[in-house]
Amino acid sequence: MEGIEIETAVVTESASAGEPQSAPPRKSGSRNKHFRLFGKDYRLYDTLVGLGFIAPALILGIIFVIAPIVVSLSYAFTDATMFTLDDVHWNNFYNFGKAFSDPKMWNALGNTCLFVVVAVPLQLGIALGLALLLNKEVKGNTFFRWAYFCPVMLSLAVTSFLWMNLLNEQEGLFNGLLTSMGLPAQKFLNDPDQAMMLIVLVSVWQGAGYQMLIFLSGLKNIEPALYEAASLDGANKWQQFVHITLPAILPTTSFVLVTMLIGAFRLITQPMIMTPSGLPNVDGKEVTTTMSWYIYQQGLTYYDVGFSSAIALIYTVFLATIALTLRKVMDVKD
Amino acid sequence: MAATMLLKKRAPVLVAEQSTENAAENIPDAAPQETEYVAPKKKQSKKKLAWRVVLYFWMSVLAILFLFPVWWMVVNSMKSNTELVEQLSSMRTFLPGGITEWFTSYVNLFTSEALSGAIGRSIFNSILYCAITVAGVLLVNSLAAYAISRIRFPGAGVITTIVLLLILVPVETSIVPQIVILTRLGLTTPTTRMFGYLIPGLVSPFYIFMFRSYFVGIPKEIEEAAEIDGAGKFRTFFVMVIPLSKAIFATVSIFTFMGAWNDYVFAQYIFSASVDLMPLQVFLQQVNNAQPKDTAMVMAALTISTIPIAIVYVFCQRYIVEGVSFSGLK
Repeated sequence: MEGIEIETAVVTESASAGEPQSAPPRKSGSRNKHFRLFGKDYRLYDTLVGLGFIAPALILGIIFVIAPIVVSLSYAFTDATMFTLDDVHWNNFYNFGKAFSDPKMWNALGNTCLFVVVAVPLQLGIALGLALLLNKEVKGNTFFRWAYFCPVMLSLAVTSFLWMNLLNEQEGLFNGLLTSMGLPAQKFLNDPDQAMMLIVLVSVWQGAGYQMLIFLSGLKNIEPALYEAASLDGANKWQQFVHITLPAILPTTSFVLVTMLIGAFRLITQPMIMTPSGLPNVDGKEVTTTMSWYIYQQGLTYYDVGFSSAIALIYTVFLATIALTLRKVMDVKD
Repeated sequence: MAATMLLKKRAPVLVAEQSTENAAENIPDAAPQETEYVAPKKKQSKKKLAWRVVLYFWMSVLAILFLFPVWWMVVNSMKSNTELVEQLSSMRTFLPGGITEWFTSYVNLFTSEALSGAIGRSIFNSILYCAITVAGVLLVNSLAAYAISRIRFPGAGVITTIVLLLILVPVETSIVPQIVILTRLGLTTPTTRMFGYLIPGLVSPFYIFMFRSYFVGIPKEIEEAAEIDGAGKFRTFFVMVIPLSKAIFATVSIFTFMGAWNDYVFAQYIFSASVDLMPLQVFLQQVNNAQPKDTAMVMAALTISTIPIAIVYVFCQRYIVEGVSFSGLK
């Protein structure tokens, strides 16, 4: 009797060390084998099942998520091209020297920054404005929400092809309307002065509805009692907005801002479709080539994997610096 | 009542102070205070009406700005191209065409010689790629998330940290190194490029993170009960955990579906040389470049490729808003 009691006690003890409260199963005694690794106790069954469950994601993740990062990092210091992947030589910092003295890279970086600086504040402002308009309980609210959200349903490719046709020089809607009103036809996407701003407008038009939805859910979470208290306090609408609404949606705003920035810095689809081959240009500098597209072109159009990886690495450092600075600034604000 | 009388005499600022200081005491007073405000409200009604008109005016202007390109796309897909070009410089361009021409461009799209009838094939490809991607993403990422959130095995902690790091750090990997790896694995040849396109999309640190956050919230007792009854982890997961996590499975499948259906840059590179394998979004390029230029036909193709996404948004709004606010709360 005593012996049996001691045995059960031991089993419970080892089980609680491994997985707390795991009761001894009736038939599957094999599931209770344990082993120790780095001073920790594991159940063999759990380990096998756990590794089995994670294996597909782990293998795919190593090949298609981790390996590309490693490839990108190491090929940046080599002369690799898409055709000579079997015969790669180190060339140290050659690619980086080439990149920093490449006017086209600086041009692409400048174009991307221009897009970000104009599009992000504009889209953020419009999205917040729309959310504030819709936050009031008025009739037809649902209709207006769907109306503003409608362009989000178009994919980036559809949006680009649609606007490319609307802005077509000969058979486009806008030139049709302009000429019918007696105004001169525009070159739109073929005009270096207009092309990037049109891409900004199209991107804002397509994306604002999505951020509007995030802002709306943020606004809905504000306690109505706060506004009641403030209005009793004699605060006017503007004061209520500045002292209640803005602080309440600050976390939402910073989240939206960060995701929008990352998205905007990765701009590629719209210029790729709307201004094929990087036209138009001023003095040979294409005004719509973005950083992501330049990396793509160097690697996949000119097959210069080494150079492409070097620019990608420079750009990653650039983006990481911005992301970290932004987090610091926002932490201070919070 | 005495308290109410007192409050009435005080300045509004003091009333508010009172109400914040001892909110509980003041709750009964809330009702009489509101009746007091009825009179000024009526005086303001004219001003409010004007405000409302202004509000509706601007909301409508914005609605038109957001809607007219989409409206034009749909309306002009239901015209013949000659009709479209004729009406371009009049306001009729925004009105539907004659009913006899409604399907002309759609028929053109499927029969046009310039496209050699490949649009049907590209629609089929899109559906196939979406189905495989959604099924694969759900299986691979939910199993991984379950393992790192609920099963104790060596390495689980390290993997969790790596997953979180991959989400937080913005790495500009671009598609170039992915293509390099696919080329080295021999997955970019005409016969294998379909697999080369589909396989990299199956694993996503972000979806693992989403599943993990959900699984952590399921009470452990449910799984323990299943284990006492002799069920293995595999059965516990499929019979107990999945039915409890329908919401997260729905959210992830909707987002995956939309991502897969809308994917452009990667698909465009992989399939640039094989028209037969192109998904619809990439095939749009062929429609857009077809000579002679047929804008109405392009609009028909754009409309068709938007319909599935529109349906998802209309019917699965709840899950999308949930997913959006989930990513917003992160």
